[in-house]
Amino acid sequence: MKWKHYLKTAAGGLLVHKSRSVLTILGIVIGIAAIIMISSLGEGANQLILREIQAMGSRTLVVTPGKEPRGPSNINSLFLDALKERELKALQDQSKVPSVVDATPMIIVPGSVSYGGETYDPTTMGSSENFAELMDVYPNPGRFFNAEEVRQNESVAIIGSEVKNKLFGPSEGLGAKIKIRGRYFRVIGIFPQTGSSIFFNMDDLIVIPYTTGQRYLLGTDHFFEIIVRAQSEALVPRAVAEIEATLRETQGITDPEKDYFHIHTQIDLADRVGLVGTILTLLLSSIAAISLLVGGIGIMNIMLVSVTERTREIGLRKAIGATEKNIMTQFVLEAILLTGLGGIIGTTLGITASFIIGQLIRRFGGLEWVFSIPIASALVGITLSCLIGLIFGIFPARSAAKKNPIEALRYE
Amino acid sequence: MEKVKIIETRNLQKTYFSSEGLPTPALRDISITISKGEFVSIMGPSGSGKSTLLHILGLLDEPTKGDYFLDGKNIKDYDKEAIASLRNEKIGFIFQFFNLLARTSVFDNVILPLLYSKVPEKDWKHRALEAIEAVNLGHRKDYLPSQLSGGEKQRVAIARALVTDPSIIFADEPTGNLDSRNGHNILEILQNLNEKQGRTIILITHESHAAAHAQRKIILKDGLVEIDEKILNQLRPTDVIIK
Ligand SMILES: Nc1ncnc2c1ncn2[C@@H]1O[C@H](COP(=O)(O)OP(=O)(O)O)[C@@H](O)[C@H]1O
Ligand SMILES: [Mg+2]
Repeated sequence: MKWKHYLKTAAGGLLVHKSRSVLTILGIVIGIAAIIMISSLGEGANQLILREIQAMGSRTLVVTPGKEPRGPSNINSLFLDALKERELKALQDQSKVPSVVDATPMIIVPGSVSYGGETYDPTTMGSSENFAELMDVYPNPGRFFNAEEVRQNESVAIIGSEVKNKLFGPSEGLGAKIKIRGRYFRVIGIFPQTGSSIFFNMDDLIVIPYTTGQRYLLGTDHFFEIIVRAQSEALVPRAVAEIEATLRETQGITDPEKDYFHIHTQIDLADRVGLVGTILTLLLSSIAAISLLVGGIGIMNIMLVSVTERTREIGLRKAIGATEKNIMTQFVLEAILLTGLGGIIGTTLGITASFIIGQLIRRFGGLEWVFSIPIASALVGITLSCLIGLIFGIFPARSAAKKNPIEALRYE
Repeated sequence: MEKVKIIETRNLQKTYFSSEGLPTPALRDISITISKGEFVSIMGPSGSGKSTLLHILGLLDEPTKGDYFLDGKNIKDYDKEAIASLRNEKIGFIFQFFNLLARTSVFDNVILPLLYSKVPEKDWKHRALEAIEAVNLGHRKDYLPSQLSGGEKQRVAIARALVTDPSIIFADEPTGNLDSRNGHNILEILQNLNEKQGRTIILITHESHAAAHAQRKIILKDGLVEIDEKILNQLRPTDVIIK
């Protein structure tokens, strides 16, 4: 018997019970959809994170005060003022940290900003003249503040496009005086619109000299973090060692267990994101595995019912010359068609769901989500579903093939 | 005229066993010979073993004991696959309950045996149409079984039995579910197949009128051949006045 005729016969068998066939493959549909979503969303998230990390630069390190977060204890909060001008100067000293290119301090100033009658709640950060180059964002129109303005505690600010729109509307805003925590700052630059990123939204940002922020707005002398760049990605481990040694020397720490700072590398970050990804993948994979198993058993059950119902048909086919192999192939193929169809529906559903979720992340998360069709997983998914049909279809098909034609013809 | 044996059984026995192991002897000792081109009717009371014998002769079942030679060859020498292709090539079945596939057109029902045959696909359509024409159902070829009368259904079953051009046709009470007019029509077709095409026909029936269309009558009783005789006045289609 030729494949064409097997296929026709098997398809005919399925069409007899359309709604039952559709219900039967639900488990397969869900399982395969889950697999497709794992890979599509996983790939999207991966690309997003990779882009963020690349944007920050893989040679970028972040030094934060306090202990490395370990366990539930928040003892680290005791040392949140551990990074001060002294530590910054040390990290900017080429002789102490030769693998380091620059060290840029960061502070965060909570609170809103106002201009005329308009008030807005942006993210206000204090940093050094290095910031623009570090983040690869340059004001246009206007300029970033320079080292001299940092040294002189000048009240100047560069604002993001969103902040500008909220405060000034369509007018330019350059040179205007905005009020942050009761102090006036002159707007000297506006960042072009960049779209947001996971870590912070440039469009929603105000950057002022950290010195001004510390002295006039916060009244503190410590930093929220210091961003350090190594000479190259390869030199990151050496830079970490140099920073550790330098900071310990500066702070007089001998026991590394008592460090008052922590160094985050992009590799750490990637690892942590990767871990979350792995946990999610495992979770979704087990859902997929369970629904595929349940789906497979469902297929087997419905095929057994079908074989019993069609006892007369089987008997007739044998009476007119069908071999056991013919009958077996017909029923296995029926199961494979069923699960294969489930695989195709599941794949379509998974791709659609991934697309919609991606759109939601774009719209509500404001992230540059890239939707990708996971062709490899789609193929794997459809193949896997066919395989399930084969595995769970063999037993019912065998029982069909082994039927005694007389018993079968006698069956009412 | 020289007679070629097409069917020969020697001391055929068939015993069924219930699930408790209780034996039911259906055939006790059957030794018969049927020649090529014969039209034989098998009669006997219900439970006498007619169907059992037909199933064994039609290769749907195996005897518990004894030998069965089909075309001179002992069936025991064939494997399952070979038996299936013998069923396909040499044997055509007609059942009391038609056994047509529902939701499948007349044409597709008739073509079914060809799916399992060695007949090249290009000949299928032509063969199926020829078989459908032979039972005068050309105008019904795209109908579903549910749209046909009982007589028409049985004619589809005959077309299906004919499509592989078998040398023997087994019919188990083919008129049992039909009125006399349709029953007569079926018997006429069987007689034609025997006389015009030289096919061997084995007909099970409990109506002596139907049995009289054959050339020879075998009567079974309790799994044994009670009577095996030539029918002297074979009933001709023209003998019957159709009401
Ligand atoms: N599958 C079976 N299992 C057990 N007993 C059976 C089976 N088929 C037939 N028999 C028994 O064998 C005997 C002959 O049956 P059967 O050949 O069908 O008779 P007939 O066709 O002459 O009415 C009966 O007693 C019947 O009950
Ligand atoms: Mg019977």
